[in-house]
Amino acid sequence: MMLEDSEASDGELIQRARGGDGQAFGRLVERHYAFVHRLAYRWCGRKADAEDIAQEVCIRLGRAIRGYRGGGAFTTWLYAVTLNAARDHARKGARETARMAAYGVHALVAGQAEDEPGDPVEALWEAVRQLPDRQREAVTLVYGEGASHALAAEALGVSEATVSWHIHEAKKRLKALMRQAGEV
Amino acid sequence: MVDDDELSRLRKSIVPEPDAGAKARALRAAMAAYDENLSSAPQGAASRPRLIRRAYALWREIMQKKLIAAPAIAGLVALPVAGFTALYLVNQQPFDFGGEGAATEPLAGKPVAVESAATDAADTIRHEEPAQAARVPMAESAAGVSRNREAFTQKLMAEPSIAPMPAPADMPMPKSENRDRLEGFETNPIHAVAEDPVSTFSIDVDTASYSFVRRSLKEGVLPDADTVRVEEMINYFPYDWKGPDAAATPFNSTVTVMPTPWNERTRLMHVAIKGYAVPTATQPKANLVFLIDVSGSMDAPDKLPLLQSAFRMLVGKLKADDTVSIVTYAGEAGVVLEPTKASDKDRILRAIDTLVPGGSTAGEAGIREAYRLARSAFVKDGVNRVMLATDGDFNVGQSDDADLKRLIEKERKSGVFLSVLGFGRGNLNDRMMQAIAQNGNGTAAYIDTLAEAEKVLVEDASSTLFPIAKDVKIQVEFNPAKVSEYRLIGYETRGLAREDFNNDRVDAGEIGSGHSVTAIYEITPKGSGAERIDSLRYGEASVDNGGVANADEYAFVKIRYKLPDGDASRLIETPVTGENEVASLDAASADQRFSVAVAAFGQKLRDEDATATFGYDAILDLAGSARGADPFGYRAEFLSLVRLASALDGAR
Repeated sequence: MMLEDSEASDGELIQRARGGDGQAFGRLVERHYAFVHRLAYRWCGRKADAEDIAQEVCIRLGRAIRGYRGGGAFTTWLYAVTLNAARDHARKGARETARMAAYGVHALVAGQAEDEPGDPVEALWEAVRQLPDRQREAVTLVYGEGASHALAAEALGVSEATVSWHIHEAKKRLKALMRQAGEV
Repeated sequence: MVDDDELSRLRKSIVPEPDAGAKARALRAAMAAYDENLSSAPQGAASRPRLIRRAYALWREIMQKKLIAAPAIAGLVALPVAGFTALYLVNQQPFDFGGEGAATEPLAGKPVAVESAATDAADTIRHEEPAQAARVPMAESAAGVSRNREAFTQKLMAEPSIAPMPAPADMPMPKSENRDRLEGFETNPIHAVAEDPVSTFSIDVDTASYSFVRRSLKEGVLPDADTVRVEEMINYFPYDWKGPDAAATPFNSTVTVMPTPWNERTRLMHVAIKGYAVPTATQPKANLVFLIDVSGSMDAPDKLPLLQSAFRMLVGKLKADDTVSIVTYAGEAGVVLEPTKASDKDRILRAIDTLVPGGSTAGEAGIREAYRLARSAFVKDGVNRVMLATDGDFNVGQSDDADLKRLIEKERKSGVFLSVLGFGRGNLNDRMMQAIAQNGNGTAAYIDTLAEAEKVLVEDASSTLFPIAKDVKIQVEFNPAKVSEYRLIGYETRGLAREDFNNDRVDAGEIGSGHSVTAIYEITPKGSGAERIDSLRYGEASVDNGGVANADEYAFVKIRYKLPDGDASRLIETPVTGENEVASLDAASADQRFSVAVAAFGQKLRDEDATATFGYDAILDLAGSARGADPFGYRAEFLSLVRLASALDGAR
């Protein structure tokens, strides 16, 4: 049984999960957990938050899988669900973060941040995380995940032109952010 | 700019392996959600699934509290007591940044738990116990597991009213599917006349905001405050202000002081400007360039097809001598129709019909090409205008708003005017539209329905197409002997510096043939007792200019304008005296009362203080009694919008 599941394609598993096969759903989620976690981590840059987001995505998948019609690739849908969950999580977490940061305990509580300050790639990611949501999402998908503009457009539910525009704006803003970071 | 090479390194960053425990928990949660969904799916089982969902909501919330997240606990233990006391004190602070409703629930009353408690909770939920039961074990095991941290945790928990901590104001909380880019702005503040007696702004004949608000309300959503520009709502409606008699004076202004419907102690100073209506027979020849966005994003029923119908209507309105050219842009700009006489209507209509959407948006190249065509078919002493139709995506070439602004400013000097017609929703770049229209001697309108296209391009065609004055600025100086405070309603995005008024190099709005423009100030007469600003203890700016201040004048209104082809500005001055005053609102004309009702509605939608106690029903009464002839039904539509907003906005 397990062997059979692990060989089944996403499409088959989705079909079975929609039909009420819990095992197939479990297998599907397990298979994609790392994918979701990676995207969530790139988005927020903190391990604990990434795990929270990934869990929320799992819950949302559980609720939504039966309504999933499979218009595009399953991973495209996962991009969309994960980014939505990440955004919601950021919004909810903002009050604690603001409070902690204000009192300097931020460093202690958020100390699990895995980034090493000296790493230029991590510094760039930190800058990406400061972008407005849409730009941050577009850059995360296009450069973090290597998605095409068309795929990112589908996942974000906007036109391809809009994605290109967000990327364009993001590049301009990143330059400013990186320069700022360099001066500090 | 950060280049692609640099960005492509983003992929190489190392992502830590997910924690096996976290993964297992997530998978269990997924299964629970799946099972729950299964059990409640088609049958709609009544109460049990609902309770379970509540338990979930509770549990998820717990999981998201950073304080409690597993790795954070280690940090918390290490915190010195002093640090914790500080944290505790912060919790007590009523930090209210004006956040969302969900965030204002007090933290107390929700059990605070640690990781294992959450796992317990997961089990509880999987066994489908009702939420009420789930609460108790969670709280209990929380206390049990965190025994050594009990003192602190319990103190946090036990506090009955930990202050609400909503999200800070800078947290983006956009409506999820709306990607319209809007420029946010603050409502004009109240000014004390003693300190700041002069108010300067550019007129604004755009109407985009009203259409935007209408569309939003008809879709059942209260519009975002940033989309509501009160002056554009007021100026959407045609008013029968008294116009000038001859073309020599392009417009006439009428100032009326009347009681404020939403505040019995203040007055409204209503400035109504009417442009000279050029008779159709003498209207100059027009040279129009349609610059049409046919990018992929225009492929929606309310975009390109609507735009095609709109331009077909406009072509029907043109005189045989007028010329039309069409430029499209998408990927690259292309000329679809070289300048063609309107008498060759078939060719123009065929060209409009051939437009198909596709590709990205090379806005800049399109604008350059359109200006080039406009110059090649330039009509001296006529109307030369580029009409840009877009959903606002400019992303190839000079996409920076500032660069685009400079390009348009440069082209403006050639004598070609620019109008912007916005289409569609969800992608609309309102900020870009405003920037283009304001800097290109033009107007911006938002077209959401065929009826709106008819209004802008057919009914109002002459005012849309034929400018009679440009760079129209208004400056009002209030008399401190009569007025203690004033506030300009709307025009937030059109404010000018005091010195800009006399500087002819500073661009401002244009007025078209027969246009009516209205500006309303709310003024607080001296001694009315309705002042919001305390007077100064150590003296005020002195008003010692030979007794003029004692004259029975409320204010002095100055209007500066240029003729469409002129470079030097002209000045019109009008004192506002007791003669301009009407004793009651009923004594004001129906059009004036209607414009005031629109102003009230706009402010209401922006949730401003001034109209907080002035209900939608009062706006309905005011507008309903001032409907007048309303030949096109615009005002009837306004009334239905007020009713819609009233229904949608139960809370206010």
